[in-house]
Amino acid sequence: MNQGSAIAFMRRLRAGLDSGLELPEAITKGATALPRDARETVERILDRLDGDYPEDEWGFDEEFAELVEPFFAFLYESWWRVKVEGAERVPAHGRVLLTSNHAGILPWDATMISMALLREHPLPRYPRFLVLDWAFNLPWISSAMRKVGGVVASPFNALRLLEQDQLVAVFPEGVKGTGKPFSERYRLQRFGRGGFVEIALRTGAPIVPVAVVGSEEIYPKIGDIPPLARMLGAPFFPVTPTFPWLGPLGVVPLPSKWRIEFLEPIETASYGPEAAADRALVLELSERVRGDIQQALYANLVRRGPAFI
Amino acid sequence: MAGRRVLITGVGSQVGSLLAAQLEREPDVEYVAGLDTRRPRLPLKHTEFIDADIRDPEIGRLIPPTGVDTIVHEQIVRQPGPRMSSRAMHDVNVIGTLQLLAACERVPTLRTIVVRGSAGVYGAEPQAPQFFNEEMATLFPLRTRFQRDVAEIENYFQTYSRRHAGVSCTMLRYQPAIGPGLRTQITRYLSQPVCPTYMGFDPRIQLVHIDDALEALGAAVRNPVPGAVNVACPGTIGLSRMIRLAGKRPLPIAAPLFGAVTSTGQRLGLDTQSEDFQRLLRYGRGVDTRRLTDEVGYTPRHSTVEAVQDWARHARAAA
Repeated sequence: MNQGSAIAFMRRLRAGLDSGLELPEAITKGATALPRDARETVERILDRLDGDYPEDEWGFDEEFAELVEPFFAFLYESWWRVKVEGAERVPAHGRVLLTSNHAGILPWDATMISMALLREHPLPRYPRFLVLDWAFNLPWISSAMRKVGGVVASPFNALRLLEQDQLVAVFPEGVKGTGKPFSERYRLQRFGRGGFVEIALRTGAPIVPVAVVGSEEIYPKIGDIPPLARMLGAPFFPVTPTFPWLGPLGVVPLPSKWRIEFLEPIETASYGPEAAADRALVLELSERVRGDIQQALYANLVRRGPAFI
Repeated sequence: MAGRRVLITGVGSQVGSLLAAQLEREPDVEYVAGLDTRRPRLPLKHTEFIDADIRDPEIGRLIPPTGVDTIVHEQIVRQPGPRMSSRAMHDVNVIGTLQLLAACERVPTLRTIVVRGSAGVYGAEPQAPQFFNEEMATLFPLRTRFQRDVAEIENYFQTYSRRHAGVSCTMLRYQPAIGPGLRTQITRYLSQPVCPTYMGFDPRIQLVHIDDALEALGAAVRNPVPGAVNVACPGTIGLSRMIRLAGKRPLPIAAPLFGAVTSTGQRLGLDTQSEDFQRLLRYGRGVDTRRLTDEVGYTPRHSTVEAVQDWARHARAAA
């Protein structure tokens, strides 16, 4: 919006208010002085203020996701310089369970996987990702995460999302991955009890292993302060070269170089839903996924070269 | 099943009166009785009004002569009103249920009990699955007085139905109700000039439209399903969007100050929220309604968003 039209807008707005119009009407009237795209933005914001925007039952708000896209695009292109391989391996329709390695409390890796699919997939769609439940006790973070597709990490949520034929991303390392020290980066932790495999088997969703390189260097965790963690009710209180020393600035992730590789899908439908109770099969598949991701992580680490330049 | 004889407890409440009126209209219901200390709020034609306190053992003598085959237990207090202590609420909820069950022992014709319980038993938790199903009542500790009351009520009915194989007992777990003309915590909340919210939280809220709430009760009376059944309109709505649809403005308050600010508001004569409701405003709650649709056979006509829109439309027209 150039300066001239902004002034014209303010003038009309004031004129509208002076003539006794309510604020929203005055804004609408004033907006006629704006160029087309700016007018649309104003109208969209007004609609949102009236509660007139779409949201699904999980709180996913596509308009909001589009609104914040430029921010994530900046991280994707300039900050982390993400390179993607194999996005076309993710099935374009129906239920899919993406399974990835994970590090750090904030689900940056999930947002970058979303970006990778939106940018590189021939038929892009928004994935839903399961986020460590602790985050849903935090103000702002909890609501923002829901709006861009995050849900509480609960097997019930994963099941329901897959039954609705969604694309779901899980991080089976769980809190163990979140609290990994820097020295153990890219060494996959145990995949829980293989719950994600049970869910895939029960719903017949193919598992797509994803290897994310770069995410484990953004917050190099070199220490932990358990008493502070207990005070905040958090699983741990990370100490990184920048956090908590620089205060809020310490939350800024380091600009490592990223590679995301989507691996060959592992089909599960042929086992049938009853196979979810077969412990041996569940553990075997879980180990297979873990092995695939671990291998791909090492390969991509080599391909990427130095972490930051 | 022709010639049903139904007794409603709490017939003096809004929902109780509406239900009595609805049952009067049903062709296969031949007799309706209503138990309460308060008069019904609607002019009822055939309903026999039994003026008794549910906490009073006297109901053990008053109920058997009616010869009912169905009891709808509606008298569960969700929020203590201005002249009701939380102790009195507990008494009505728990002692009332006990007295009612004691009376049920003396009604040999009894086949069906339908309880209008509450989804409040699940609580409102940050780690909760987005949609509770009926098996998840014990997923989290019971945190509030009302939650403990509901759990205790459910427990009594479970024990009762274990001991009486011939009586089917349906525990309907209702989400908060909303609807034109209805006065509930949620409608009072949305009628305030500003709606206090927890700063930085935008929970998913799920409600039930009053029409669907009544229809579901009726459906459960017609088609008794033993065990718990969630009752809610499908879908959820973000709290902030709900406030905006109601044409109100949110007033974000930092979480540690929320209690202090709202209790000051109470002293100034503003509406207050119960502990349960405050947790709902912070964390929200959704339930899975597949059992209602598949087993009871009732599909709600509104979604949660439509229920809010319907209420907002009427509230605006009334203003």
